[in-house]
Formats: sequence, C-alpha cells, structure tokens
Amino acid sequence: MKTAVSLGEILARPDVWCADRLASAAIPALASGFALLDAELPGGGWPRGTLTEILADGAGLGECSLVMPALGRMREDGRWSLLVTPPHGINGPAWASWGIDLARLAVVSPTRQRDALWAAEHALSSGALGTVLCWSRHIDAAQVRRLQVAVAGSNTLAFLFRPVRARTESSAAALRLLLSAGSRGTLAVNLLKRRGPPCTRTLYLDVPRPLKWREDHESTLARTPSAVPPARSQRPVALA
Amino acid sequence: MPSPSAVVEQGRILLGDEAARRAGIVSGTGVAAARMLAPAITLLARNPSREAAALQALACWAGSLTPRISLTPDTLLLEIGSCLRLFGGVENLVAAAKEGVQAQGFTVELAAAPTPMGAQWLAWTRTAARCLDASTMRQHLETLPIAVLPAKASISLSRFGLSTLADVRRLPSAALARRIGRETLQLMARAFGELPDLRADFVFPEQFALPLQLPAAVENAAALLFAARRLTSALAGWLTARQAGVREFTLRLLHREAETPLVLQFADLTADGGRFERVLRERLESLLLDAPVESLRLEAATVTALPGRSHALFNDATTEQDAIGALLERLSARLGEKQVYRVAVHDDHRPECATRHVTLLEKSTPEKRTAPPRPLWLLDTPEALAEVDGRPYRHGHLKLLAGPERIESGWWDGGEAAGDLRRDYFIALSTNACWLWIYRECRAPGGWFLQGYFS
Repeated sequence: MKTAVSLGEILARPDVWCADRLASAAIPALASGFALLDAELPGGGWPRGTLTEILADGAGLGECSLVMPALGRMREDGRWSLLVTPPHGINGPAWASWGIDLARLAVVSPTRQRDALWAAEHALSSGALGTVLCWSRHIDAAQVRRLQVAVAGSNTLAFLFRPVRARTESSAAALRLLLSAGSRGTLAVNLLKRRGPPCTRTLYLDVPRPLKWREDHESTLARTPSAVPPARSQRPVALA
Repeated sequence: MPSPSAVVEQGRILLGDEAARRAGIVSGTGVAAARMLAPAITLLARNPSREAAALQALACWAGSLTPRISLTPDTLLLEIGSCLRLFGGVENLVAAAKEGVQAQGFTVELAAAPTPMGAQWLAWTRTAARCLDASTMRQHLETLPIAVLPAKASISLSRFGLSTLADVRRLPSAALARRIGRETLQLMARAFGELPDLRADFVFPEQFALPLQLPAAVENAAALLFAARRLTSALAGWLTARQAGVREFTLRLLHREAETPLVLQFADLTADGGRFERVLRERLESLLLDAPVESLRLEAATVTALPGRSHALFNDATTEQDAIGALLERLSARLGEKQVYRVAVHDDHRPECATRHVTLLEKSTPEKRTAPPRPLWLLDTPEALAEVDGRPYRHGHLKLLAGPERIESGWWDGGEAAGDLRRDYFIALSTNACWLWIYRECRAPGGWFLQGYFS
C-alpha cells in the first residue's frame, strides 16, 4: 500500500532546505574563528566541499586574516594547503607566526591564467588538500562553475579571491562575501549569497591587526567607515 | 611499426602481426609467398638479443605480481600459488597480468597449471587453460598434440601414428624410452607432476638500468610515452619485488649522436607505475625534440627501501598523503619546477631574505615564530612612494601607526642577495583602510617605499 508522504517529511530530508532557513552542511563546516560570522554561515562555519568567494579590492584590508584561523586549523589535522597564484610574495615568518604549517603549504604560481585554473581545478578535484586558496582577477562565470564542480562533495575548503567588481556577476559559488573596511579597524563583511535567507546586515569582525586600534587612527580614513558599497535591494539571491 | 610486418627466421615466417595474419600469412610461410600475399609487408630478421631484453624487462615488471619468477628462453614463468589470495583468485591475477603485458604493447598467451612445464605447454598451444589442481591439468595436458615435445621425438611419435599426449601415455614407458629417449619421457613426467621440476629463480638486477631499442626513430615526444611505458612498468615491478621506492629516475632519450636526459622527480618514495606514467606524460607533452630518438634508457640510481605498509580498512592519512604527492608532482611536471614550491623561513633580519622558496622535495626546518608583527604579503620589489608635505603618500596621505623599526643588516653581503640594508620600517594605514608595511630608506637618496601588506 502506498502511503502518502507529508510535506513535513519531505522538508525534513537532509538534502532539502527551505530558503527561509539556513542550510545545514552535509560535510561539517570548519569554524571560521569569528563567532559573529559563524552564526550567519550555514553549518556554522566555512563550508567544505563548496566554493567560497571572497570579493575584496587591493591588499591590506584584512582579507587574508579572515581565513587565517581556518588555515591554521589545518595543522592540527595534518592536512595540506595550496595557494594558487597568490597576489604577492609570501612572507614566511608572518605566515608561520599565524600558526600555519609551512611544511604543508604549497604554492603554485604559473604565469598564464589558463595554467592557474587548470592547477586549481586539479587540486580541488583531487580532494587531497585541506584548503585551496585561489586568487584570480579575471575569471568568468563558466570557470567559477568548473571550480565549484571540481570541489563539490570533497572535504576541501575552497576560497576564491576576486575583485569587488565581480559582485554583479552571477557565480556558482555557494557562499559569497564582500569585504570592506569597517569602523575602528574592523573588517566589514556582507554576505552576498549564502544557502539561507538573505543576510541584510553587515558584520563587523575584529580581525587581528598588527597593532591595537586607537581613536586617533580614525582621522586617517578618507570616508566614514561604512565604506560598504550601497547595498542593492536585497532580493533573495539565486539559490544554488 | 608499419603494418603488416612479420619476423623471419631461416627464410620462413616465424610470427606475423594481425594484418599479416589477415593476409593469410601464418608461421611457416616462405618469404617469397609472404611477399606475394602482402606486397607491402615489412620483414624483420629475428633478433634473439632483443627478445631476451624484452623478456628481461617483462620479468622485472612481473615483480609487481609475484616475487618468484623464472625465465626460459621463450617463456616467462610466474609462481602464483602463493599470491592467489592477495589478488583474490586466479582470474583476477590473470586479468592483471594480461592487462599489464598488453599495456606495454605485447601480445600474450597465458596459461596456469600446477607444474611449470605443464603451464608452459598449455600456453604454447594457446589453450588459455587455468588449472588449479593436478587432475584438471592432466585432462588438459592429455589433449595436447605431440608437437609440444622436442622436434625429434615428436616426428618419430607421429610415425607411430600417435597424435596426442594421451596416446603417448598409454604406451609402456620402458619400451618407449628405448625408442624416443629417456629425456622426452622425463620431460613429460615433469609436466604431469610425476617428477619434480626445479627452476632457477630469476634474479632481479641489483641496479636498474634498462635500455629499449625503438623499432624506428621517433620524432614526436608524445609518441615516446607508449614505448617508455614498458620501461616504467618494468621499474615499478622491479621496485615492488625489492620492496623499495624511488624519489627520482632518469629517462635518457638517445639520439644518433647526443642524448636528452629527463630527470623525473616525485614528492615521496614511490613504486607506483601509474604515477611514473602520469609525470612522464606531462614532461613528454611539453618536450620539443631536437633530433629523432632512436632508443631509450631508464636508470634509477638511488633506490630506498619502502617502509612496509598494510592496506588500510578505511581511507586513512597515508592514502591522502600519497594523493598529495601525486597531485604536487603532476602540477610541477606540467607547470615546471619553479612554479610549484613551498616556502621556508630563513634566519635573516632582512625581509627579502627571511623567506626562501624550496622545492617540494627539500626538507624544511621547523619555523620559529617571530615577535614583531610582519605582513603576510611582501612585494617582489618595493614600490616607491611619493612624499607629499613630508609624509608618504599613496592615494592620499599615509598615517604612520607604529615605528620606526630599524633594520640594518647584510653588510657582509656584497649585493648578492638583498645587499646591505639600512631602513626604518613603519606600519601605515592608508586612506582606504589598508594596512601597509612601508620603510624609509636611510641611505642616499632616501625616499619612502611600500614593501608589504598586512592582509
């Protein structure tokens, strides 16, 4: 006899999520080290097995400090990290002082973008790495999708750093973060896309800075720290 | 190798390829008849030394299946009784053997039997029999034609009107021994397992250096992969039999007058033929040959014992480690060694010298944590900053938050690394809220420079 399946049962399935709630992660997420951010991320941390896009312009904003705690966690698990075309030279002592295991940190920096994407795709699909960080200034939606497909289902943390102008492009990444400078030395994070209801508020994270913030630092900044680009009307973003 | 082609011995065809067989050329066909059947045929004289070399390479490769191997001039014998369980049955093992041999471009006739002679005869007659016990083998052997026996004996036996081994076994042995000789009967007794048959084990060479003569000069590097696969499979088998691994080996491409050595390196000790092949493929695909290659030679100079490892029930860290090694060496084979690296900390106060790029193979020293804050990113060459109103300027005035921190070092260095430095470093905040690491040059002509980002 066929029994009717109630809607509630369907909704309770682990592979179904309602757009008004945060999705739960199939593979346990990795705590980002920022409680404020973890509370807004589906699964309570950086998702594994899916691409996370970080949009930031220039260097020095604190964009790396955001992922450093997660990268440091790789040491405990003895897993490798790979940097694909980092924007500048790596300063070994600084990375080491963040607790990064340099013995398990590999860097690939081919000169051609095509090779970089090949390396990134290969690294993601091998599933052998703990974290893959990829920097790309010119990457189109199809290439992002390829990376997302490569990482899907694996146990890897995948970050893609892109310039802010990419925010208007569609992206296959399941999580998209827009970074800007917050007040008092904080890092302002806007969640452009996540598996869950749209997050309209800006998160101000206390990322570690080389020195403590003092009030007189504020006068340096050209604009008031809500340097967040004017928020678009927050429609629910495309659900991946 | 052009097709059709055939090997000739004493004016008669010994063996032809598939195209020759389709043209009607069988072993025993005369050379003139063969030329008439297939005018485009390439005839090659039999070369016993190359046959022996090929069999030697195959014996090395077979080390990946079983440690006990025996070579006869025309047959490779593998003792598989002791490793049936490892492979999960004779069919799996035979399939693995067949696949391995065919991947190297050989055709193979396989048979399994409890006695070496029996297996040899069953393989010669292409029965493809897999006999695991003596009675099955006896049944199979008795149907074999007497042609498997030495030529002289088989001729006289056929004159008696006998055709199969069963016929021979029905005759009284004492009388038969007088007519065809005791040796032939002993041979049969060994095949049927009635007399012990001791074979000398194949001794794996101490050093691995295997040449491979190519049938024709090759001008396209990618085409070498197929030929080189014979050598890498042999190396993998040889390493498995010795329970050893290599970190690197050299494949020499020999031209008429010169040679091109290709050194292939691996992230960790390995004896995995698939890994050898993948790395080789990436190298060969990006290689431009100066001259046609006539032969190959593979040398593995430093061989290290592989730590014993049992197969894990679940995926564990070692398999992930292997996967990383395989990934990184694939990346560096394709992109070049310079572009895939690790970083190591070097004890030097000069920021440019505190980080070193090391290859994946180098051992890294445990890093120390530094006390003063240092930026994550360093510019390859410091960027000169403008000075406006006596303050450094980059899209607006920079605010100096901390400093100066004097770094003065390197007087011993005559300009080879970073040279002799004297700089005052500051942590600066730009108007767009970027945290920068800048310095003021203390030597003439001075000036401000941006060297790093606290990202």
